[in-house]
Amino acid sequence: MRAETLKGHLDGILLAVLEPGPGHGYAIMEALRVRSGGQIDLPNGTVYPALHRLERAGLVQASWSEAGGRRRRVYQLTPAGRRALDTERSTWRDFSAAVSALLQPAPLAVNPS
Amino acid sequence: MNRPGAPATAAVPAVERYLAEITARLPGPAGAHSGIMAELRSGLLDATDSHQAAGLALAHAVQAAIDEFGSPALVADGFRAEIAASHARRVAVALLATGPLVGLLWIATAAASHLSIRITSPWQWTSPPAGLGVGIQLVAVAVVVTAWGALLGIAATGRLTRWLPACPRRAPTAAAVAGFAAVGADALGLALLAAALATTPGKLAPLPAAAATAASLARLLLARRAAHRCLAIRASLT
Repeated sequence: MRAETLKGHLDGILLAVLEPGPGHGYAIMEALRVRSGGQIDLPNGTVYPALHRLERAGLVQASWSEAGGRRRRVYQLTPAGRRALDTERSTWRDFSAAVSALLQPAPLAVNPS
Repeated sequence: MNRPGAPATAAVPAVERYLAEITARLPGPAGAHSGIMAELRSGLLDATDSHQAAGLALAHAVQAAIDEFGSPALVADGFRAEIAASHARRVAVALLATGPLVGLLWIATAAASHLSIRITSPWQWTSPPAGLGVGIQLVAVAVVVTAWGALLGIAATGRLTRWLPACPRRAPTAAAVAGFAAVGADALGLALLAAALATTPGKLAPLPAAAATAASLARLLLARRAAHRCLAIRASLT
């Protein structure tokens, strides 16, 4: 799936990936790939600025941790992030229901003749 | 997971070259992006580990990790807006924090000078220097513009961003306006001081006047530099 298709939904997707627990950049990318069944495969480098933006908005918080001799920046949802995720979910449900209804093949028009 | 041949922290030349290409595309000195680079480096090395675990040789694993990351231009584009926001926020906070301090020094100068004038020759103030009133009003306007610009800069880069439509140029623009308004306020303050020195020499309280001059001069120079940098960063945003 192309980045343009995801535009406007990446923040919600990242929040959803972090919902089960904290994760660092690469783990988040892997979770995106696995949970989307390989459909979402963004350039890894573009996820980091998005995570920084979420941090600035107070939706996630980041801290450095060290494991196996490598320092990683680990992100986790804040209470505001959980609330934002709930809002994203309900907005998405309404949106997808409306678009699905619209994209349904229309019933054939009754020919008056 | 770390496998032999991919040391956890040792520099991998191809990764370092890739990171250097990203750094070169970011505004500001390279040292300012060390945190971002450390984070990207660990992500690249994690990806390298994963490819090695899947059976690739180190060189190929590194290249695959770099390819997955995207072009340096693409990654730098994403970070530029974040760097613009954090610089604008720093400038706005600094202006808001130093404003009352510099203002208090000027008020102290005016109060102390007024007092000494009253003690020695109170009639001096019956004919204040021409243009003093206009000058003070201009300073007030510049101070208000600085405060509004700085507050907008802070609002556009903090938690309010989740409710504001995305506009990466908003914060650096607001911070630059605040910075130039602060330059104006300080320059006007110094000009009023010079006028007071010329029209009523010897009437100014020297200590607070010297402190206010030093503070305003320092802030003027720093605010001018910061505002120019905000404009440069703003121009680099696509």
